[in-house]
Amino acid sequence: MRYAEWCIAAPTLEADIAAAAMGLDDIGHSRVLYGSLRELGTADVPDEPGSYANVPYLDRPWTDWTAFVAANGVLDSAFTLMIEALAGGNVEVLRSRLKKMLQEERYHAMHGRSWLRESRAAVAVDQARRDAIVWIGPEAGDVDDLHQKGILSLGVRELRRRLDEQVSGAPASTPIDWKAWDPVRRRVVPGGIDELTLNMLQGLAEKRYMPAGA
Amino acid sequence: MTGKYKRVSGDAVEYEVFARKTRGEPLHQVGSVVAPDDDLAAAYARATYDEERWVEMMIVPKAAVIQLWAPGEAEA
Repeated sequence: MRYAEWCIAAPTLEADIAAAAMGLDDIGHSRVLYGSLRELGTADVPDEPGSYANVPYLDRPWTDWTAFVAANGVLDSAFTLMIEALAGGNVEVLRSRLKKMLQEERYHAMHGRSWLRESRAAVAVDQARRDAIVWIGPEAGDVDDLHQKGILSLGVRELRRRLDEQVSGAPASTPIDWKAWDPVRRRVVPGGIDELTLNMLQGLAEKRYMPAGA
Repeated sequence: MTGKYKRVSGDAVEYEVFARKTRGEPLHQVGSVVAPDDDLAAAYARATYDEERWVEMMIVPKAAVIQLWAPGEAEA
């Protein structure tokens, strides 16, 4: 969704198109993930503002291209590492279904890596890296538990190590307050998506433009 | 929205994009992209020209293409 907001605002026409394409890829990936969860018997989460488990980095629209670059280079990489861990785990539905997603994410990673080299995005990268670490969660928490059960092929330490490997630069210096960690929404700070974006996600914005009686 | 953005290296180069739909078909030039490195050129080529079901796609830096003759010139 945030990628799509940049499809007419990126620095070059090619980057515009890539933003739109990556946004579409990620919508497709969400559909596959939700479909897989349903198949595995997970109950649907009510579509309410407080139930969105997005990282804080996505709470508000990005106001600078470097914010896009850091999301693409860091957060997208963290999400992909988790998908890799699921695809390498012992749940058959996920093992077979997530392969295409990883192929497409390869291009997101190339795009992110190159733009990270091209941009002075250190501030945004620091924030994105922090959100990614918090999203992965604390050691000996749910992710490590799933790793022990074989559902994830990677644990927290390995996920963090691989993320650091992909994102050069010094890791975030200020410690994370894990006591404030919400294991459902996977964040340490309150807040959520802005209302305008939420309206779009829930289809309310489209309804406003629908002809009367349709 | 892009006002603060500054590019670190200004050297973007042109890449030609080639693809084919079946194994037997020759490669066709389907377009070109401009990017500062191979990674970004590949990501752009895939994002821009992925609308067809290609079995193969590749990019070549335009500088690596050696021209033998051009339109209007006689064959050497």
